Amino acid sequence: MKELDLLKKDWKKNAASFEQVSENEIYKMIHKKSSSVVKWIFIVSIIELGLGLVLGLALSFTKYDEKNVELIKHLGVYGYYIAATVLLYAVILYFIFKFYTMYRKIAVDDNTKKLISTILKTRKVVKQYIAFNLSFFAVFFIIFGGYLFYEGYLEGASKNGVIHPEMPLNIALISFIVLIIATAIFTCVFWLIYKLIYGILLKRLQNNFEELKKIDL
Amino acid sequence: MSENLEPSFVKQLQENQNIIHKICRLYTSGEDAHKDLFQEITIQLWKAFPKFRGESKFSTWAYRVALNTAITLYRKSKRNIATVEYEGRQHFTLDIEYNYEEEEQLKLMYKAVYQLNDIEKALVFMYLEDKDYTEISETLGISEVNARVKMNRIKGKLKKILNPLGV
Repeated sequence: MKELDLLKKDWKKNAASFEQVSENEIYKMIHKKSSSVVKWIFIVSIIELGLGLVLGLALSFTKYDEKNVELIKHLGVYGYYIAATVLLYAVILYFIFKFYTMYRKIAVDDNTKKLISTILKTRKVVKQYIAFNLSFFAVFFIIFGGYLFYEGYLEGASKNGVIHPEMPLNIALISFIVLIIATAIFTCVFWLIYKLIYGILLKRLQNNFEELKKIDL
Repeated sequence: MSENLEPSFVKQLQENQNIIHKICRLYTSGEDAHKDLFQEITIQLWKAFPKFRGESKFSTWAYRVALNTAITLYRKSKRNIATVEYEGRQHFTLDIEYNYEEEEQLKLMYKAVYQLNDIEKALVFMYLEDKDYTEISETLGISEVNARVKMNRIKGKLKKILNPLGV
């Protein structure tokens, strides 16, 4: 291609024409803060990883939880509850550890394909974490929300003088459906926000990764 | 990071800075963006420098880190972030035998290259730098044969941009 040869000639001719940056300026530059996408990915990921942890801790310190614990003890499933909590934190810690090891693997002097792939895998850990958290809280809300509503209904009924209160099937069904829909909406909104952040951060990387994969197809 | 690495790094970077300038030229438009990317590449090179053991030449290593920064790490910022100022800009050499037709063709060619995507630009860049296909394939993480095939496709694409009607 003769135009490309022409470009090459010009490219080489102009190579020496850049205004040179002095050593002093380079000294100043290396003490500036990076604004790279990897840094943003790290910050956002830490916030996201922390959010699950904070949410779990906040929940366990609330009155709401105390009431739950009483309820759970009353039901005789306290052991399961503790086991589930331990499991939740173990899983969260596992994700944080996995994220950290993946993050450490990001090396800017790897080849481009490997570099992008490592970055995307690091984000995938966070994605799995978010998915895990959302499903955990969804199940939690449906089970406990449903149970609390049920208990509340019965309590209300006995206050009104019903001796052996029972929840009619249609009310049980409707409330269950409403609860599921509410949880689904909440989860979807959360997931969409996550996807939006994910997209903003990674769109360009993903495009370039696709392009590289296409070359070797 | 140990202090005594600094002088050696700064010296080598200063000597090899045209690599970075050329990548900035291809991946940015405008002086501010050029400086911005130059600074980010410098920071990334510095951060990776302790791992550089001189198994390859500084310039070869710098090519890779600089390209990776331009393709994957750099976030184009609309606002002007605090970059270290340096005076002046690029001076184009004025050819004595000024050829108007060639000049026009060059302008179109640069314009066409700007329309390529990040990966295609990387291939063109290494082609312009006379890198062989082994180095191109190792830098991008693609096979050598496919790097060749892709380069031929890019030539075709450039031709099409220059001459969309195929006349």
